[in-house]
Amino acid sequence: MKELNIIGKSIGRHDAKDKVLGMTKYADDFSMPGMLYGKALWSKYPAANILSINTSKAFALPGVKAVLTAKDVPNNEIVTRMGQTHKVKGIFSFEGLYRVLADKRVHFLGEAVALVAAETEEIAEEARDLIEVQYEPLPGVFNELEALKPEAFWVQEGTDNTVTHYYLTRGDVEKGFGESDVIVENAYHVPFVDTAYIEPESGVAWVDDNGVITIRVATQVIEHFRDVAEALGINHNRVRVIAPYIGGGFGGKEDVTVEIYLALLAQKTRRPVKMTWTREESILSHCKRHPFAMFYKTAAKKDGRLTALQVKLVANGGAYVTLTPWVLLYALADAAGPYRIPNVKAEGLGVLTNNTFASANRGFGGIQPCFAYESQMDELAKRLGMEPLEIRRINYIEKGETLSTTGQIIETHVALPQTAEKAWEAVGEKSSPCSANTKIGRGVASGMIGYGRLIVLHDTSRASVQVELDGSVVVRSGIQDIGGGQASSLCQIAAEVLGVPYEDVRIYFGDTAQTPLAGTTTATRQLYMSGNATLNAAKEVRKRLLTKAGEMMETGTEDLEIRDKKIFVKGSPGTSLSLAVVAKACASDGIPLSHEALFKGPFRDVTEFKTLEGKLFPDFTFGSIAAEVAVDEDTGKVEVLKLASCFDVGKAINRASVEGQMEGAAIYGMGYALSEEVMVENGYTLSPSLSEYLLPTSLDVPDVKTIILESGTGLGPFGAKGIGEPALCPVAPAIVNAIQDAVGVRIYELPATPERILMAMQRRNVQENKGGHFEVK
Amino acid sequence: MKTYEIELNLNCESCKVEVTAQETLLEVLRKKLNATEVKNGCAKGDCGACAVILDGMAVNSCLTLALQADGKEVVTVKGIGTEEEPHPLQESFVEHGAVQCGFCTPGMLVTARSFLDRHPTSSREEIRQAISGNLCRCTGYKKIIDAIEKVAETKDK
Amino acid sequence: MESNTEYLRAVNLQNALDMAERYRPGIFVAGCTNVIPNMRANAISPKFLIDLSRIDELAGIKEEDDEISIGAATTISKILESELIKKHASILWSAAGMLGNPLTRNRATVGGNLADASPAADTAPPLLALEATVHTAQPKGGGRSIPLDQFFVNPKETVLAVDELITRISFVKPKALSKGWHTKLGLRNAMAISVVSIALMLEMEGNICRKARIALGSLAPKPVRAYLTEKELEGKEITDEVLRQCANTADHEISPISDIRASAEYRRLVTATLLMRSIREAIKGEERGL
Repeated sequence: MKELNIIGKSIGRHDAKDKVLGMTKYADDFSMPGMLYGKALWSKYPAANILSINTSKAFALPGVKAVLTAKDVPNNEIVTRMGQTHKVKGIFSFEGLYRVLADKRVHFLGEAVALVAAETEEIAEEARDLIEVQYEPLPGVFNELEALKPEAFWVQEGTDNTVTHYYLTRGDVEKGFGESDVIVENAYHVPFVDTAYIEPESGVAWVDDNGVITIRVATQVIEHFRDVAEALGINHNRVRVIAPYIGGGFGGKEDVTVEIYLALLAQKTRRPVKMTWTREESILSHCKRHPFAMFYKTAAKKDGRLTALQVKLVANGGAYVTLTPWVLLYALADAAGPYRIPNVKAEGLGVLTNNTFASANRGFGGIQPCFAYESQMDELAKRLGMEPLEIRRINYIEKGETLSTTGQIIETHVALPQTAEKAWEAVGEKSSPCSANTKIGRGVASGMIGYGRLIVLHDTSRASVQVELDGSVVVRSGIQDIGGGQASSLCQIAAEVLGVPYEDVRIYFGDTAQTPLAGTTTATRQLYMSGNATLNAAKEVRKRLLTKAGEMMETGTEDLEIRDKKIFVKGSPGTSLSLAVVAKACASDGIPLSHEALFKGPFRDVTEFKTLEGKLFPDFTFGSIAAEVAVDEDTGKVEVLKLASCFDVGKAINRASVEGQMEGAAIYGMGYALSEEVMVENGYTLSPSLSEYLLPTSLDVPDVKTIILESGTGLGPFGAKGIGEPALCPVAPAIVNAIQDAVGVRIYELPATPERILMAMQRRNVQENKGGHFEVK
Repeated sequence: MKTYEIELNLNCESCKVEVTAQETLLEVLRKKLNATEVKNGCAKGDCGACAVILDGMAVNSCLTLALQADGKEVVTVKGIGTEEEPHPLQESFVEHGAVQCGFCTPGMLVTARSFLDRHPTSSREEIRQAISGNLCRCTGYKKIIDAIEKVAETKDK
Repeated sequence: MESNTEYLRAVNLQNALDMAERYRPGIFVAGCTNVIPNMRANAISPKFLIDLSRIDELAGIKEEDDEISIGAATTISKILESELIKKHASILWSAAGMLGNPLTRNRATVGGNLADASPAADTAPPLLALEATVHTAQPKGGGRSIPLDQFFVNPKETVLAVDELITRISFVKPKALSKGWHTKLGLRNAMAISVVSIALMLEMEGNICRKARIALGSLAPKPVRAYLTEKELEGKEITDEVLRQCANTADHEISPISDIRASAEYRRLVTATLLMRSIREAIKGEERGL
């Protein structure tokens, strides 16, 4: 297929049409007759023993149909592989304890202690408030560095707080430092942040006519049906999970949220139950991004070549393990960034604290180190008197070289130098300051993160493609659509391969009972994995159609083409058969018109996961962000005037969708850089709603310029790579580098709030004997 | 629990519904009038997902008592256009790729429609200002503003 | 939020007052942009909601001789649309444009903004600088006229009695050659609670300041007038030295706290620089705030 008809275009997605008409039914939009409302009672303390729970008053309230606590959960503690099937061995495995309801202790403020189902939401809330819990508060530990200490409070009973510890060494860092001409050593910190999707967690569960617990829920992982089954102590085949279109995921709906609560309540009451979290409950109880304390020591020679890197990363995992080991693995692998460094020593630790558990968030362990290593690069450039682009050019790895941390060979094209140049170019002429107190600055940053899952997890995806007798097409895939056009992209692929208009392809998705499992919508893997599965399934069906057509037209299949639902001989479109006629002929001859394909990512088996080395990711996406900011010297407030994003996406399947991912990621990253922080004090959330947790508004953002490079070297369909997470990682450092350029201070801690910037400027002025800013009193 | 009967005109249809004093227009629309196209993102006016047009003005339905909508016209995204006759804004959003997860979309469209009704020709900056009470987490706003600007320009001609 | 709250819709002012007298304890509501979140958070549990939003006589902006009068139930959007306000009270116009977001502005009222008495209330500093008066009505005719700088007591607390409602806010039109400036520092450009806000009106004679009115928001338990700072300016030529003195004096008139938005130290620092900047900008003759 040389010429592509549908791939590469900016097609209006068919889910977009329903969404603009208000017809899409999200999780909370769905109701069933006789439905009850579920509410959770959350912990009152970040760390406390539960001495007693009295549910009698709650249960006595008229309209209350169930009140459940830990003792009512058949398997309250399950060891989950977070949706993955393959068991990975090692000192620290990829399994984590999942506790459905707090039992003898509460470990973070948002932990669920009890569940209520009642006739109305108001009754459920009232009943919830009538549950009496006696707590014995415990000291708790909240800071990641405190949690590391041997005398620290143990968050989970019977085990110390360190849940992950990786290290890796390549070369000899001491030698590397010895050889260097300049060493830059800094400590960086990034905070808890929230995915803050506009749709809060929600779902409805019911027991169907066959006794199957069915859960229609906003989730990125329908595979959690297994966790639901295990918690309830029933067969996996007795649970069905359906994911409708989801109002944003970003990793926040990757762990179990309402599923098990709903299943328990539905099973208990034998009625449908709905649970929708308020925004406050969402911020409190669903996963956060890991804070990282990052200690970086980077060395280079006069000519800019990096010689050594020593890194220590400490991640705050909150109260439960969840995906902490995986986040650390990404972080350590990405710790050196896309640079050639012959000597690397890196250590990564994940610790528990009495905060809301930290788990997946877009950028997953790649975004945090990127902030550090891209800040380091600019600092080195400054010390060496080099331009930021120059020092990066000298050190970018190239195809065929190895990742400086793990030694994974980079097998695909690395477009980094072009992405940096083009992003920089796109920022254009330097803006003039709008006032005397404003300084303009520009910054650039490059980044990388894998797309597709860790290969030690043996990732697969299945998809089925079917041609109907009239030539229209049905795709079935377990794919979960969180807004990135996941479902639509599979339709595009099937349309391209089968030569039918995009409008003639429909997809059934996200249903464990009816669609082949596609794996999680995470790790920037769906286009790669499910796209390839769909591609292969469609190709097989195409082959059968062409074979039949060839028979009917008495010609070789290599001479045939399909377009606009017609199969014709290449070069003579007059001689054709409609796809429908060929499909009917296949059906008539017992040739199946549907095919399910399983696509496998690369598999690797590691028997002992002590150090990280070798190939861990299928591939990486590389790119750069350039930013121009205006900083108000009197207040420290930053306006981002320009943002440019340039990434090699391999192949853009739907151009508008790719641009949308890059534009959205730029703003997601801008929030991370400047205003977002889930502020917690001793385990108590100080930013409980969207008035305190500050997302960028339309008045805060520039028009992001996107430059898409297509090397065609991706492992996804048509040479595509993944873009969702990669487009995010370098945004914050580009902005912080621009701030440095503007006002000469480096911010080592995100978010770079006006206060942090002003105070840094004050300290710098004092140090440089410029006098403090206005001295009061 | 005292209830009151109110009547409102929802997308050109007269509706009578019983409400309590504290119930918000958002709650009544979603739960009693089946208008689930109006979304709940935060229930306290921080996100704009619940925007509806109330007697010609775009408001947060979560910050309006249902009783305050009594006798008034409420327009949701379903009242802006239909599958047979979509509003130019709805078509523009689809064409421009301004819809990703779509959860902010109904509120955005309602706000944009109300704004363009009052300011048929507007600059990009004015559009940006008009939607500053509607949060979007997916798009970065650019294609949304592009989509609205296109319609605004078209109105101009 | 299960409750036995009752709703009453007042058709005119007298009706509202009769309801306040008869149905206790009640609260007056209009835009509900603060009331609903407060009820939802169980911060308040009113027995009666007396809705003022459909009382025509309580909304509207009028010019009467040398006074401008804004009905308490006038929405922030209406203030923003008013040519009268834009021309004669640009600092109020500026603050209105920065309050909340376009959706909330369509419902929030100036009376509600003042009655809510947040130290960060957006309309308070400009109205203080305009030396506004709050006019009230009470059942049994106990209404009064309260200078705005005597209206606020503490965060969320005013001098209003429980059955007293604001009918209108008035101020004398600033003299033709008055110069004003308004600035609000927030952590983002919309939907931001102010970290610091400053509104000022100056009557200048050449480079000499004849009269200064300076009001500060988010810097004390209530929005305040900086009386001593005003005295620093009045009668003087505005030089860099005088500005520094002002900043110094202002620092003594504020008592900022540290909260999730900013520390007290930061607030003091930016008050100093933004105050000096605001006075400079005002003198330049520009009529709009930052």
